[in-house]
Amino acid sequence: MGVNNPFDYFVGIKSLEEIATKESKVVVMNILGNESRNVTPVSHEYSGGNIVAGVQYGRKGKLETKAGDIPVYSRLAEVVEKHEFDTSVIYLPPDAVFHAVTELCHYNSKNLKKIIIITEKLSVKDQRLIRAIAQANGIDVFGANCLGVADSWNHIRIGGALGGDRPEETLIKGSIAIHSNSGNFSTTIAEYLKTAGFGTSTIVSSGKDVIIQFAVPEFLYAAENDPRTKGVVLYVEPGGYYEQQALDMITSGKLEFNKPIIACVTGRWKSNLTRACGHAGALAGEGDDAIAKEKWFDDYFGVPVFNPDEPGNVSEKGVRVSSIQHIPLAVKAVFDKTGIQPDFEPVGNLGLKPWFGNNFDLKLPLHLQIPLVEALPPYNKEIEEINKQIGATFLRENMRNKSSASRINPSTFVAELHGMPVVELIEFPYESNIFFSLTKLQPDKEKLKLANIILNYFAKPTEQELHAIQTAKNNGATPNEALIAALALNDGISELNQIKVYTGKLITLFSEMQLRDLYSEIDYDKTETFAQTLFETGGGKKTDLAEFLSTAIENCFKKTNIVDFAFRFNSKNKVKHPEAFLFAALLLEFSYKSLILKKITRQTAVELIEYITIIAKSAVLNSGFLYSNTFLKNLFNGKNLKLLETSFTETVYQALFNEEPSEESLIEFYALLALTLTNGPGTLSAKGAKESVSARNNISTAFTGYLSNTGLAHGGSGYEAVEFLIDSFKDVKIKDPSKPDGKINLRNISHNVAVNYLEYKNKAKLKGELNYKRIPCINHPVFKGKRVNIDPREDFIRKYLKSKNINNLFWDFYHELVEELYKVGVSNNVYCVNIDAVIAVISLKLMWKPFHQKKLSENDLQNIGFIIFLLGRTAGVSAEIIDHRARGTDMDCRTPQSETVYIS
Amino acid sequence: MQITGMKYGKQILNIANFPTPQILDADATLEEVEKLMAKEGKCVVKPVFYGGVGKKGKAGLVKIVDSAIDAMAAKRKLYFAQHLFHDKVIQANGVTFEEFIPASYEIYFNLHVSTKTRKVNFTLTHHGGVDIEELNSDQIYEGTFDPITGLKTYHIIDALTEINAPREIISPLAQHLPKLWNLYNDFGFTMLEINPVRIKNEKGRLIPYACDFKAQFDRDNKQWQRLNLPMEIFQTDMSQFEEEINQLRTYRGQSDVVVINPYGTVTAFMFGGGANSAATETLGKKATISSDFGGNPPYDKMYDIAKIVYKHWLKQSNVLLVIGGKANNTDIFVTFKAMFDALKNYVAQNGKPNIYVVVGRGGPNLIRGMGYARDILDSLGIPYKFFGYDSSMVEVVQYAKDIDDWMEEQKNQPLKV
Repeated sequence: MGVNNPFDYFVGIKSLEEIATKESKVVVMNILGNESRNVTPVSHEYSGGNIVAGVQYGRKGKLETKAGDIPVYSRLAEVVEKHEFDTSVIYLPPDAVFHAVTELCHYNSKNLKKIIIITEKLSVKDQRLIRAIAQANGIDVFGANCLGVADSWNHIRIGGALGGDRPEETLIKGSIAIHSNSGNFSTTIAEYLKTAGFGTSTIVSSGKDVIIQFAVPEFLYAAENDPRTKGVVLYVEPGGYYEQQALDMITSGKLEFNKPIIACVTGRWKSNLTRACGHAGALAGEGDDAIAKEKWFDDYFGVPVFNPDEPGNVSEKGVRVSSIQHIPLAVKAVFDKTGIQPDFEPVGNLGLKPWFGNNFDLKLPLHLQIPLVEALPPYNKEIEEINKQIGATFLRENMRNKSSASRINPSTFVAELHGMPVVELIEFPYESNIFFSLTKLQPDKEKLKLANIILNYFAKPTEQELHAIQTAKNNGATPNEALIAALALNDGISELNQIKVYTGKLITLFSEMQLRDLYSEIDYDKTETFAQTLFETGGGKKTDLAEFLSTAIENCFKKTNIVDFAFRFNSKNKVKHPEAFLFAALLLEFSYKSLILKKITRQTAVELIEYITIIAKSAVLNSGFLYSNTFLKNLFNGKNLKLLETSFTETVYQALFNEEPSEESLIEFYALLALTLTNGPGTLSAKGAKESVSARNNISTAFTGYLSNTGLAHGGSGYEAVEFLIDSFKDVKIKDPSKPDGKINLRNISHNVAVNYLEYKNKAKLKGELNYKRIPCINHPVFKGKRVNIDPREDFIRKYLKSKNINNLFWDFYHELVEELYKVGVSNNVYCVNIDAVIAVISLKLMWKPFHQKKLSENDLQNIGFIIFLLGRTAGVSAEIIDHRARGTDMDCRTPQSETVYIS
Repeated sequence: MQITGMKYGKQILNIANFPTPQILDADATLEEVEKLMAKEGKCVVKPVFYGGVGKKGKAGLVKIVDSAIDAMAAKRKLYFAQHLFHDKVIQANGVTFEEFIPASYEIYFNLHVSTKTRKVNFTLTHHGGVDIEELNSDQIYEGTFDPITGLKTYHIIDALTEINAPREIISPLAQHLPKLWNLYNDFGFTMLEINPVRIKNEKGRLIPYACDFKAQFDRDNKQWQRLNLPMEIFQTDMSQFEEEINQLRTYRGQSDVVVINPYGTVTAFMFGGGANSAATETLGKKATISSDFGGNPPYDKMYDIAKIVYKHWLKQSNVLLVIGGKANNTDIFVTFKAMFDALKNYVAQNGKPNIYVVVGRGGPNLIRGMGYARDILDSLGIPYKFFGYDSSMVEVVQYAKDIDDWMEEQKNQPLKV
């Protein structure tokens, strides 16, 4: 029975019950397309397997689902031969949709009752032609640009993804029918209704193209005839007269409709738009904009827009709401008025419930400080699981000319490591920059003592390494060649395995415990219980080193849960290898935050000890004083463990210069080591490392790859500048280059150098020698062309050192020299003193005293300059090795054959 | 996508062989204008506006002149004329000199897609040349026809007869007006209007001339591209940002944007037409843009969108908002990965922006997506708060507004010395 069909056009659906039924047999067009491939299986499973077949033009096969495989045919004609169906869902691209509709009508006009078009961006022309052909064939159409239809009572959804990938979560049986211009809001409104205790009967996502095929008039007619539906919710956007038509039909008596309507009209702001944003059909004229639509409904209801503070002011016909968040309250208010009960007890509420948040050091005012809450099931479990996933996972790609570790900043031309300009890294001690290279985070200053313990301990060379390096040196090897000989032995690397195993286990332990805040209290008992399943306990022997490490941890200021737990756990449970265990904890102290922040991979954290060992050993192996320097002897004989706390920069300084550094030399040494960390991934040194990784070598071989790519032209070339300076000052006696000496007239020296150079240059030109020798460390291809030019990197460091009252005579000389070169006519403007000069003048200053005392030869100066370069670069290149190992692919550094050139 | 005026109207109408007056561009010489005026001693000078601009006559921007000198004077006056239309001041970009068509009848004709009939309707009156809204309903005919067979001669004859049009104009209009249906149907129109069609008596024969032209095209129907109209005429009211995003328009995934306030302080990625409507309304003038990126955009498209959004708006924003309901088929992980990867790269290039990120979202792969975003924001040190779909979307937007208010206040605090 029910009300009669009042339309002068075809409407086949008499009741909402008929829209998505258990008897519907569905065929999906373009079933294997991107969207359908994911959505259709969920619909099929939710609906108890109502899809009889799919069409994928030109292909055959099946779509696997948990409710059984759906056969896929290459054309509709084949489907019609084997299956009966009354409903079709179209996922085709826009240009193909009208063709599909005609095809469906051609082959199956007798049985076809419904077509649901999911495709968006269908032309208005195709929409009107689809309507014409569907009307002629007696077919109801839903869409286009919609998410289909769903019936919560029948447990059926047809078409798109109403309810998303978990339809059962949203489609709860109840008394409200929803017609929504927004696909997303179809689901969102159903979710919101649950908070007032309402479920749904039928949901129609109408789409919001200009032509809506199953619009409000048809929907209300079918809702009136649906005994399950006690009220309807309409979500309405500007554009189109569908709602006015429906309300006019009711008011005029043409359509009998007696159920309450809750209408949400939005989009006032769209009245000034001249083109669509959002739904294509939501571009209104003056008569069908949001304000006009609001008035249609307000006139129909006879009450103003719903005010949550006055919920009683609604009519039995319903009420309009201005925002979807008011829908649950408004439905409740209208139902209260009509005496209809909600479907079930309210579920949850719509208040603000943040699941994730971090304000860092931002001090939000009280009213904005909303505490995090546990997410509703099943999301709370999912959050728990992702909190256990620790460390970054990078997509692998060709990393031949790429790096996420270093770059030359295109605007400042300063090399950067992990986003930090090297000029800013000059303030950090070497040990700090080593850990920064490896973990992408600078360690807390308070923890550098722990960093130094690790570095100093693992720097100790083995006998074999010392033998190898000495043999190489005896054979005339350069510092890089000597290091290669030692590192290639891989000596002692296997002894690090226990630390790696323990590091991995500690990561598992803390990730399982969902440790994200390193300082808040942890559940010790729970953590201990789990740790006991991971670590062999009870056999650990007390050793001096273990005791020393324990004390260092105990006394560490600002220690985290990691070392704190490790210390307590080991004290209580006596881990089998206590030294390895404590070292693993110390290493994790530096890497765990990087893991949480997904800056490094888990593998990098596990292998950290290997990188550290190689860097630390490389830093001392080239020393000529390992057997003679008292500090180094005592450090490595292990008798005075307290020495392990010495700043590693000082250790390296002693190894290089055989003396304790002054405070001033230490600051300059920091700068030197930081400046040489990196010069971008395109340098030969970085490429050597990357290519070795690309060939899938182990870590130490990758370091030898880098070392193989350094040499007298790359790394050893700094000596050219040192040589120039020595030559310029050959007739001058300088005791201490840091103390200005009134007797030394830098202007005269630089004037003479400039005049001599001019003479040399002119002569060379007369001879036609175009490749005459340039003065090193001045001028720059970018920082040029002004009257006076400055390399901002050099300027930054010079000012920084000046601010610490650190002077350098050689540096001042360079600045005088560029002025004089201009004055005597060598240059057209005052050249800049470039960044290379910084390395040269600081190196020479640090070496000056022993050189002056004849303890160092010119050849030694050249070697030390090279070693200084290697010290910085070894730390910096470790970042490239880590980066390439985590992101690159095998053989990605090879040059494609097509790019190689044969020269006969 | 709209155009008005005869500069391009004539070009389009010529395809259908619909009679049009002679038209000269702004660069016509004095002699050419004199020649244009030779027959009737008059010509019409109109400013050229890009986009859909109406009511020019009412605003006094259409000049009928009777000498070439006056025509040139009118050109100078109208060339950069400004016109207030729909609360926006629009500037002209040239003029046309149009042949004057003497006529005793002015016709209004319009073809448009109607949401009342869900077909194409036509509107016709012989009381044209004025605003159609000013006429009585019995003076206007509005009807429809079979969308498959189209507008036929008999539809025009029946319509004109019904509104008592003079008999002499029925035949010429019935002969010419159906041509406009072919144009409409074949070139992607959603609206085509000629007002007026001036009917000129040429040696005893009445010929209808289209004297002004207005059209709207369907951007999802590529047929309009066959008209070979220059793209810039559709881009008049489009900002650089909108143009850049528009390049990414493909059938998979939305990429609709419109600039709301170039000085706004909340930049929002809105997902879905509903969220677009609700969030834009709630944000008001705080919003830099209104957007709809729903429809499950693939990673590359979303990444490119985000990159453009950040380039244009992040520096001035206090709040970056990601807002949508419980997505049905948009993969939250894919879209979040794209947006936050782009943010990470933005920070690498430009440094850390002073923003607070607020997210309100639900849908497939929600937690994976949120977890990914959290990790990136944690690593960048950018503060954030993420809400699930169980928090009211509008409340989340309101929270973003409140954060923005507070951050604005902080900016305005006097510096502590």
